[in-house]
Amino acid sequence: MRVVHPESLEEAQEIARDAGRTACYVAGATALQLLWANGGAKPDILIDLGGVAELKDVLAESGHVRIGGLTTLSDVASDEGLQTGAPMLAHAIGSVAGPAVRNLATIGGNIANRNGCLLPVLLALEARLVIFRSGEMRDIALGDWLRETPTATDIVCAVNVLASGDDAVWIHRKVGLRRAFTPSVVAVAGVVHLDNGRFDTCRIAVGGGVVPPSRLVLTEQALQGRRIASCDWASASETILSEVEAPDDLFRSGAYRRKAAAGTIVHALQMKLGGVADHVHADPPPPTLAREEIELGKQMLPDRWFTRPDMPEKVDATLSYLTDVREDGMLVGRILRAGVPHARLVSIDVSAAEALPGVAAVVTHRDIRGENGFGIVFQDQPALCHDKVRYAGDPVAAVAAVDAATAEAALGLIRVEYEPLPLVDDPEIALESQSAAVHEHGNVQTELHLDRGDIEAGFLEAAHVVEEIYEMPRQMHGFLETEGGFARLEADGTLHVAAGGQHNYRDRMQLSRILGIPEERIRVTSSPTGGAFGGKDELTVQPALALLALKSGKAVRLHLDRTESVLAGTKRNPMRLRMRTGCDKDGRLVAQEVDLVSDSGAYASLSPGVLETALEHAAGPYVIDNIRTRGRLAYTNNGVGGAFRGFGANQMTFAVECQMDRLAALCGQSPDDIRRRNLRKPGMPGYLGQRVSLTERCDEMLEAAMTSRLWSCERGLSPDGADYVGVGMALSYQGNGLGTIPHDEGGGVLRLAGDGRIEALLGLDELGQGLHAAIVSQVADFVGCARDDVRPITGDTLLAPDSGSTTASRGSYVLWNTARRTAPEFVRRMTAVAGSLLGKDPQDLCLVAGGIADRRSNSGDLLISYVDLAAALDPADRPSVSTHFAFPKTEHDGGNARYIFAFGATIARVAVSRATGEARVLDLDLHTAAGPVIDVASYLGQMEGGAIQGLGYTLLEDSLMRDGAYLTTNLDTYMMPGIADTAERMSVFAQESLDEGDDLGPRGVGELGIASVTPAIVNAVGDAIGYWPSRSPLSPEAILDHMETMQ
Amino acid sequence: MSCAPVSFSLNGVERTLDVAAETRLSEILRDLLSLTASKVACGVGRCGACTVLMNGKPVNACLVMAWQIEGADIVSPEGLDILPETRIVRQAMTEENAFQCGYCAPGFVTVLVSLLHNEPEADLSRIKATLEGNICRCTGYHSIVRGAQAAAEAVRAERSKVS
Repeated sequence: MRVVHPESLEEAQEIARDAGRTACYVAGATALQLLWANGGAKPDILIDLGGVAELKDVLAESGHVRIGGLTTLSDVASDEGLQTGAPMLAHAIGSVAGPAVRNLATIGGNIANRNGCLLPVLLALEARLVIFRSGEMRDIALGDWLRETPTATDIVCAVNVLASGDDAVWIHRKVGLRRAFTPSVVAVAGVVHLDNGRFDTCRIAVGGGVVPPSRLVLTEQALQGRRIASCDWASASETILSEVEAPDDLFRSGAYRRKAAAGTIVHALQMKLGGVADHVHADPPPPTLAREEIELGKQMLPDRWFTRPDMPEKVDATLSYLTDVREDGMLVGRILRAGVPHARLVSIDVSAAEALPGVAAVVTHRDIRGENGFGIVFQDQPALCHDKVRYAGDPVAAVAAVDAATAEAALGLIRVEYEPLPLVDDPEIALESQSAAVHEHGNVQTELHLDRGDIEAGFLEAAHVVEEIYEMPRQMHGFLETEGGFARLEADGTLHVAAGGQHNYRDRMQLSRILGIPEERIRVTSSPTGGAFGGKDELTVQPALALLALKSGKAVRLHLDRTESVLAGTKRNPMRLRMRTGCDKDGRLVAQEVDLVSDSGAYASLSPGVLETALEHAAGPYVIDNIRTRGRLAYTNNGVGGAFRGFGANQMTFAVECQMDRLAALCGQSPDDIRRRNLRKPGMPGYLGQRVSLTERCDEMLEAAMTSRLWSCERGLSPDGADYVGVGMALSYQGNGLGTIPHDEGGGVLRLAGDGRIEALLGLDELGQGLHAAIVSQVADFVGCARDDVRPITGDTLLAPDSGSTTASRGSYVLWNTARRTAPEFVRRMTAVAGSLLGKDPQDLCLVAGGIADRRSNSGDLLISYVDLAAALDPADRPSVSTHFAFPKTEHDGGNARYIFAFGATIARVAVSRATGEARVLDLDLHTAAGPVIDVASYLGQMEGGAIQGLGYTLLEDSLMRDGAYLTTNLDTYMMPGIADTAERMSVFAQESLDEGDDLGPRGVGELGIASVTPAIVNAVGDAIGYWPSRSPLSPEAILDHMETMQ
Repeated sequence: MSCAPVSFSLNGVERTLDVAAETRLSEILRDLLSLTASKVACGVGRCGACTVLMNGKPVNACLVMAWQIEGADIVSPEGLDILPETRIVRQAMTEENAFQCGYCAPGFVTVLVSLLHNEPEADLSRIKATLEGNICRCTGYHSIVRGAQAAAEAVRAERSKVS
């Protein structure tokens, strides 16, 4: 690609004309990367308009504002003349892309692309364009220009808009897939002039995304001359509905776009013309704390608030992640993905790739010396495919080359012949016996049944039955650091594989099995990593990295870009869940039937465990005597499912907690009454009949939920008529640990290091959750030293022992129990060595901040610092204490059952837009009971972060697939919550007590934050509009359709 | 691929590199210069992890191509403490434990430093609007907003001390 820099319009146009379609103008260039990533052709020549000086300025004069085409959007929006003359445009620019993009993108580029969401705004401002065409300037109305056939040689030199004047009001609204930095669903704009209480001239326009930009002439005519006070808004709305042209796309129907346009235009006009200000939903009153409850935060608990040990280097950007490692001579790896969802692999020819200069190694299944299969439970996933491919992200080969471009070129030279097989993409159809088989043994990966009591008799007793099908999306983990890392052969021949993970010893075992190399010859580093949430629990890029390093004999780095991460990575299993629940006239649950189908995708990974965990939570914290559940997990050719925070429990809780509110409504009971009547009591067996641990807090969480301040906030129709507001709650009941069946052990080491730091060695991973903060907190507590005296050593098989996986909310117990079990002996040995060094009785010594002190002294003076003590000791004499233990389990053997549970309640206040059907979370209160809070900041972070990941799951996120291909391939269309989408206010509370005799310590909270957010939000929507959506992410269209029936 | 020299200032040091015109700034920093403080998490300008300052303004380094930085002044997170507000912002974000995995932190901090350098009076809604281009998956944003508000107050306190 060549970039030319003309200095005049004439020169620019000449180049464009001569080059034809192989050249394109470019200004800010912000649209190009996405265009190219989506398959847009790269031109041979970019014609940089930046040197054409006359195109950059904003000039406000006599009723007009003239904006140079090369003015960046941020410069346009901040121009004072524009803010005065065309405030609507300044406002609208704030809804285009994101702030950093607006610092480069130009208004001319936005117009020239013809689909920008500014076009309706410019149409409403009667914009005229100054176009340079065929060597001369032309002045042309924007509307006329849009109707012309686009010519690639036109240059948008300037745009002139009418200043609105004082007698006009303007409206603008962009409806998107989320609240900011979003593709446009539809954008509306209008300028209305008034004359003595009547509409004078009106200019109203729509556009944005797939909606053709156009003025709504019929609507304008219908309003013109009308008296505002007696305007027939319903008729205006009808006119808009019939006039807006809007096609369907992947995300929203044309019908929805029309309704949202009509709704937003009418509502905005009513508000502006009526002089009604947007209603600001008031802050809720301060919380009243339940008994033994604390509110978490730096302000509320200053004495318990500590800087996390990992925070400075993260904030300073000095932390080196495993994908940041760069070394001289390091090769760059790339993986060839199948690209087809289901096919027999006929042949692979890598000879041309191998012959490409700069290529150091090409690996295929032929390079695998061990077992070509991996998977935490079932080893059904090939490291590199050999006989068939089962999803488009299946790896077929990998390349290591001197740089990324060479590796990329080499991928293109690998010839793979496929013989297509029938696509299996619907899990329900996959389960039918005549379906094509994804795996030899068929598509039923797991089928689970549980029958208890007499379900028919139970339903006969029921006065009310709610039956609903809940459909849940394929949520992406969305860790910001995509999968990657490096691998190399160390000087002693050890293979070192470093890539973000959640259980390095298991990764090592799996690699050993694939590579045919003993485990002790492999070192796995698995953290720090930039987020995981379950998505790095299974192996990701480690096999390819290892094979490339082995074959090339060199260090290799490899980092998936987002699109490849989307394609290859596991996701939350999409589920379709039919739940039928009956209660008697008093609200007592009498029977429940559950039928769950989960899409495993091409391989099992941890999807069987997710299914099992979902079913284990099928009654939530409630007692139902008569139950029948069936769960089926289907192999398909879709993307692979697997572990994701919540692990099936949050999906099931969505259904259970919504059933409760719906039954309550049928019984005429409150959400409180029906829950209290059915809540399990401490000491009862768990859902599977298993013995469960002490410290149950269901009653306390229900109490906290029902006394929440949010119930007293204003509800119903907001004063400005914009929203229906509702409050909803849901209980959390989240199992901890892997359950009875999987092997589950933990342990660690506490030792004095040579530099005087007290090291805690744990094979867990710092994924962002605050592991290191929790370690220093617990060690300091049990040992008596300061937090700064402690150094966590984690995430590396070379450096720390196996502590089990950093999953299933189990890490907290492991580190707490390690500190508890090692600290007394460590302290004994420390005082012993210090005593003999100082000539003092060890009994008189204790460990304090910085060193050893005399326990009888009040001075706080150190007798010897840890630094001096360590220096004075031979390495062999420095205290080191290790422990190893089984994770606490129950005895149950009739299925995988949890022993430990954490408890919570989520209360949500939600505003449902009458114009668009969008739900916006105003308040989230999270009450929790999970034992002692180890580290306040980390606990708060887990709850807040989990809650907003759950908010995304409820309102925004779905990885769309069609024919085995992802349609949402990057963060431009996969909508994770942005800062504008988060709950406006959020508070987190904790009850820390444990029952007498409970020696299990702090419960894990990694999954508690997400546990019941979805049903709390949906129940709030139910409270607001009497309709409980059963599909997440919630469909604004379905909500809008329901609200139409409410009028 | 034809390479051509491009000259720019990076963290106060003049540089000239021979690169293809369409090489992205994110790649220049991370892969050619091994400056890995700025991250890449989407590559299409939708997450803000790669934010750097170009001529004083935050831009997505993944959207900027080599030909666009000719003569430009680039500040990456490695050189951000050229701005006096950086120390204050970083301290406030650290004390608030604003981040979790930290991968988004360089981008957020760069945007915040730039905002508070130019608009120390920025209020909550201005802060939130300015951070709309940055995605964080771990925190749910509340800790970031708390840290940003504390940073804004600290910057204002510092300015009032100086004046």
